[in-house]
Amino acid sequence: MKFSSFAFSCLIALAVVSTGCDKSSSNTEPGADSSAPAAESNLVGTIKVDGSSTVQPISNAIREGFIKEHPNVDIIVSGNGTGNGFKSFYDKGTDISDASRPIKGGEFEQCKENGVEFVELPVAYDGLTIVVNPQNDWVKELTVDQLKSMFVGDDAVKNWSDVDPSWPEEAIQIYSPGTGSGTYDYFHEVLAKKSKKELRGDMNLNEDDNILVKGVSDNKFAIGFFGVAYYEENKDKLRAVPVVNPKDEVAYEPTTENIASNKYAPFSRPLFIYVNTDSLNRAEVQTFVEYFVANTPEVSEKVGYVRLPEAVMAKAQANLDAVKTGTHFVDESGESRSGALTDLFVEENLVK
Amino acid sequence: MATDINAPVDNSDPPAASGYPGGGYAVSTDNSSRRKLYSRLFYLLCVLISGLSVVVLGVLLVSIGWQGHSRLTWDLLQNSHSELNPESSGMWPSIIGSVFICGICAASALPLGIGTAIFLEEFKPASKPLRMLHSFIQLNISNLAGVPSIVYGLLGLSLFVFMFNVFGRIQVNESSGTELFGVSHYYQVLSLAGGGHTVLIPQEDESQKTIKIDEPTQAVSRDGETFELAIWDPASGQPKPSDPEVRKRTVRKGQGGGAYSETEWYYLRLPFGKSFLAAGLTLSLVILPIVIIASQEALRGVAPSLREASFGLGSTKWQTVRHVSLPAAMPGIMTGAILAMGRAIGEAAPILVVLGAAVAKNSGPQNLMDNVVTMPVLIFNWAGRQQAAYQELAAAAIIVLLAVLLLMNSAAIYLRQKMRVG
Repeated sequence: MKFSSFAFSCLIALAVVSTGCDKSSSNTEPGADSSAPAAESNLVGTIKVDGSSTVQPISNAIREGFIKEHPNVDIIVSGNGTGNGFKSFYDKGTDISDASRPIKGGEFEQCKENGVEFVELPVAYDGLTIVVNPQNDWVKELTVDQLKSMFVGDDAVKNWSDVDPSWPEEAIQIYSPGTGSGTYDYFHEVLAKKSKKELRGDMNLNEDDNILVKGVSDNKFAIGFFGVAYYEENKDKLRAVPVVNPKDEVAYEPTTENIASNKYAPFSRPLFIYVNTDSLNRAEVQTFVEYFVANTPEVSEKVGYVRLPEAVMAKAQANLDAVKTGTHFVDESGESRSGALTDLFVEENLVK
Repeated sequence: MATDINAPVDNSDPPAASGYPGGGYAVSTDNSSRRKLYSRLFYLLCVLISGLSVVVLGVLLVSIGWQGHSRLTWDLLQNSHSELNPESSGMWPSIIGSVFICGICAASALPLGIGTAIFLEEFKPASKPLRMLHSFIQLNISNLAGVPSIVYGLLGLSLFVFMFNVFGRIQVNESSGTELFGVSHYYQVLSLAGGGHTVLIPQEDESQKTIKIDEPTQAVSRDGETFELAIWDPASGQPKPSDPEVRKRTVRKGQGGGAYSETEWYYLRLPFGKSFLAAGLTLSLVILPIVIIASQEALRGVAPSLREASFGLGSTKWQTVRHVSLPAAMPGIMTGAILAMGRAIGEAAPILVVLGAAVAKNSGPQNLMDNVVTMPVLIFNWAGRQQAAYQELAAAAIIVLLAVLLLMNSAAIYLRQKMRVG
């Protein structure tokens, strides 16, 4: 075997381990073959994927199914964050960029400058959940304005009683994902983008969502936010706060149905993949992206996200088939559009 | 050792305890009992402090063992990371990845480090400017030992991954840098057989990255034999070939294809890109100062009389180093090497910078330029996930990491013992 000769020439000192390695690589491959369909695939190649760590589980899961059918394709899925992902995407370091927000004007500009054209494909919904301690019995629902008063600017309110006089006179303790995460960006965009302000600086920031879960579940006067998948896993320790939809003034829980139907607004966000059109010439990338779009509804549900409406998926499929390049989320002047995915992801908004 | 210190304190204890503070003893001064009490208290403090570190280690091991014991299965050792079935996730590729990276790291850092130490300790220059250079190097090495590993990660990124773009940039669909050997270029085109079946067409012009098949050409099968690729034109009205074997050798007219590089295990290109070779070399930078300083200490510990005896017998400097100093210092050098390798296998930060945060890979590296998953990065990823299964897997993976580390250390200690006897 190619691999074993490599092992031996490379690692004389660790010969024992490398013989074991032979055993296992032959162990895993038949397992992959046995579940493959009858028509054997000899597709080969390497596909480089980087971007949002929120989308990484979806890409990893898609990869897992894909290499069962096409065992010789090597797919590297890295999760260095949406911004870093776009950076290596426009530097031609990756074929596909995972993103937990649409591309920004500046990134789109860089792509054009470097001659990188792409197809924009939404793959799933992620709901941003606002959580409190289960012992918190005063917050029944929150409006966007209340959230703004709590989270935006350095003059944000300090005590619960400042938001609503009937609430306890205790300090609000906030647990938030780190500033590098797409989740923080998204929360900032929803609450503070228009007023051109920053989120308050005295929050407990942490990249590890488990620490946020622990912080809120240990503290009666705490509030936090993160992706819906984390809430689903920690339902027993936390309580999700229904958010009042500004359009119909009704509070909705972050349930799967409410996120998919866009009622849980404005805190449900779409997740995307961006595919370099030059890479689509390659048989392995083309096959992988087609597989991605076909399987993402089931797979993203399995890894804790919400599937997109069928109309959106059909539009994505059509855009891929016709290789329609450009983004729907940046207008001609380079400003990001805001609004629901179903409203924005339409032909008229496509900017090359 | 501890009882040795304790013994004299115990012997002199009764007078202090019996309430006669030195009164009955002519030799004792007034404060002798107090001094002895302090000595005893200090001893207790030392026991407490050393006990504390052992307790912390114990708590860590017990809690990790408690969390991870249920996941310590053959699945963990044999399988690879799985997103869809966390239950059957494993860490085999990451074990191989870590071992390979450490292999590269040891192969490059140990000879370099020991060589530098020999130069610094055994070949001290006589002239003044050289002496200044010597002490300048010495100062730098001591400082480098304290530099955080993430800084080395960034250094490795520009030095090994990009090589300052001197040899071109690695860009998808455009350039693979300067490829030295172990690679052949093809176009990959989907055949009519479907299900991901493709044919390879040798690439003549490497700058031409895509191909469009309009007329029959020469293609190669995966066994290496050349055959004539047939064309099926849907517009011509001819039926699509039905024989699966014919379909495998036929493509649709106008079918496009992209470049594919077939690599052998010894595939080498410049710059190294995000490869395990670059990661191993970066880690070797991290541990180099540790290896140098430990080796220097060991060489310094060799009795000067040994060297002088060797010189007295008429040996040259090189003979003295080769047959006297180095063998005598070897156990100490090995200890330093063990500690350094222990640090290398546990580093996550420089690896994240150099290789990125990929965790899903089903095998070890296939060629020198291949990406790998390492144990610390996998543990980092698993520990940050929401599902309880991954949290347990992270704990179990930590146990495996410790076991691998222990295994490596015991191998090195065994080697050291052998050398000492020799």
